[in-house]
Amino acid sequence: MTKESLIKIEKLFKTYKGDDEPALKNISFTIPGNEIFGLLGPNGAGKTTTLNILCGYYKKDSGTVQINGYSLDKNLKEIKKIIGVVPQDIALYETLTARENLRFIGNMCGMRGKKLNNRINECLELLSLDKSSYRLVKTYSGGMKRRLNLIAGLLHEPKILFLDEPTVGIDVQSRTVILEYLKELNKKGTTIIYTSHYLEEAEQLCSSIAIIDYGTILIEGNLQSLIKSKSEYSDLETIFLQLTGRKLRDN
Amino acid sequence: MLQLFSSIYKEILIIIRDKAGIAILFLMPMVLIFVMTLIQDSTFRKLDEARLEILFLDYDQDSLGMAIKQGLQGSGFFELATTYENKFLDQELIHQLLNKGKFQIGIIIPNGATNTIRNKAELIVSQAFDSNDSTNINEVKAQDDATIILYFDPAIKNSFKQSVKNSLQNFTFAIEAKITFDYLAEEFSDILSSPNNIYFDPKGSIRFEELYATDEHTEIIPNSVQHNVPAWAVFAMFFILIPLTGNIIKERDNGTAMRLEIMPSSYLVVLIAKALVYIFVCFIQFCLMLLVGMVFLPMFGLPVLELGPNKMALFIMVISTAIAATSYAILLGTIASTHEQAASFGSVSVIVLAALGGIWVPVFIMPGFMQAISIVSPLNWGLEGFYNIFLRGGGIKSILPFVGLLIGFSIISVFIAYQFRRFRKV
Ligand SMILES: Nc1ncnc2c1ncn2[C@@H]1O[C@H](COP(=O)(O)OP(=O)(O)OP(=O)(O)O)[C@@H](O)[C@H]1O
Ligand SMILES: [Mg+2]
Repeated sequence: MTKESLIKIEKLFKTYKGDDEPALKNISFTIPGNEIFGLLGPNGAGKTTTLNILCGYYKKDSGTVQINGYSLDKNLKEIKKIIGVVPQDIALYETLTARENLRFIGNMCGMRGKKLNNRINECLELLSLDKSSYRLVKTYSGGMKRRLNLIAGLLHEPKILFLDEPTVGIDVQSRTVILEYLKELNKKGTTIIYTSHYLEEAEQLCSSIAIIDYGTILIEGNLQSLIKSKSEYSDLETIFLQLTGRKLRDN
Repeated sequence: MLQLFSSIYKEILIIIRDKAGIAILFLMPMVLIFVMTLIQDSTFRKLDEARLEILFLDYDQDSLGMAIKQGLQGSGFFELATTYENKFLDQELIHQLLNKGKFQIGIIIPNGATNTIRNKAELIVSQAFDSNDSTNINEVKAQDDATIILYFDPAIKNSFKQSVKNSLQNFTFAIEAKITFDYLAEEFSDILSSPNNIYFDPKGSIRFEELYATDEHTEIIPNSVQHNVPAWAVFAMFFILIPLTGNIIKERDNGTAMRLEIMPSSYLVVLIAKALVYIFVCFIQFCLMLLVGMVFLPMFGLPVLELGPNKMALFIMVISTAIAATSYAILLGTIASTHEQAASFGSVSVIVLAALGGIWVPVFIMPGFMQAISIVSPLNWGLEGFYNIFLRGGGIKSILPFVGLLIGFSIISVFIAYQFRRFRKV
């Protein structure tokens, strides 16, 4: 494993039971270490499917996945220890407080005692939830839930963090806090794989990207070189629209 | 271990924060057992203890009439009415009252019935001692036998009718025997010319002792409390599927189950914690229901629930039933796609299994083929186990077959749930 390929995906196929069309068709790309990698695409492109396969939650039909040198088929347990996942939908216990949620999740990751407590305090503070940490999650606003959902995925300081649309449906303030935090995290050595529809946000944040549509990768590589190579377009959004077209995806 | 304890703590927090859920878990079963036992107790008493009113018309006014009257009243099951709305009875009125269904039984003792017995006894005795008397006994019998008229409501139960007839026959025989004996005694004292001190004991010398077939020399009288408390306790324990399937499906829907599955620790730990917590909840439920049986029901004039001599057997039985109830809920929670589905299928299935298993109506009252089917219901296994402890005074050995069935059922349920999860993995 080199720094150039912390995650290596080759010829990934996936068709959901009962679906005619495959959700992923021959997906291949590599993610270098220490990157913030953006997996971008319209609704239903296959972003969540890809992430869920990478973290071992969904089964793939065929293809190989290597994460940090471990094979997904053979060493899932090892992979689970170094990854963190922030799911697209809020996955928290509504009738527990923020702290209770985090303590439970920390314990499940094998953390305990003072160390866990300190880590919880640190994260809550960084994402401005420390003052409301004793409130039940069901009393939280959407933005607060998003931030807590994020903490829940990275509490155990994973080497690799998968984020599925972490900034969807929240205000500029919450968004800024989250993005700043992610940049900080990346500086400290965490590799972040992140999906989004927000291209401006991706342009700010990511060092490399892949654009996916209808289950295939359309383009992949270092963001700056991509923009340079397509000199007729000035920004990511134009490239994106050029590649994916203007057709609606909802049906 | 850390994971297990943390998961248990999480489940407990979730349960105690859900006030409506707590009401379903603990209050509803108590109310259920309370209401069901009270209702069943009143019908139980009506059948068993309520005195039946009998219209009684005694034209005889002599030994036989008196003996029957005393006998019926003394039995404790009947109340004798000799008037109706301040009118004296006659045969016509009795006929009318029974016909209208106001009473179920009427008895008319004919005039001179005792005398008929006396005449016949005298004849028999004198014949025995005087060989010259040539009157044929059979002739006397045919002419002079007295007839007691019994009126029955056509709707009366046959067994009941039979028992009234039997009692009357007993009283009549006793009187006949006594009168005959008196004549004999008189003849003997004439012959032996000594005072008559032969004594007739109308009660006879055979006594009956009633015993219930219980183990270990205990004798717990079956009553509605002994039957209903375990029955509804088993029923309520299986209803744990409503909150538990809700819990499982919610965890799946809100994505926390996914989060847990992505973690290095096994989701099985979370599931075991869930099961342990809900088994404990069942246990508390059961204790509360025992409390109802031992403290609250007696306040309403019902008998106190007797737990039987073997507390260890009781504990094992409760835990086995709780494990079966929890496993069934885990199975439904895994297979159902929504909580509505799990709750409606779950409650209907538990009600059907309860009906089959003898919770509503005892198995022995069911028609034969239903009795055969009843043994497929896990609620029946639970109930039979508790009956062995509560009613038959049984120990651990007596409940082992039921414990085995319940645990087997649990293993199969969890196994199917596990296979189904694997099958559904996307
Ligand atoms: N559980 C599932 N069963 C069947 N089909 C599914 C399932 N999940 C996703 N799909 C289908 O697979 C395709 C890819 O879905 P996916 O959720 O990966 O898209 P996405 O890029 O994450 O979209 P979005 O931006 O809307 O979240 C879609 O056509 C979707 O309808
Ligand atoms: Mg998605």
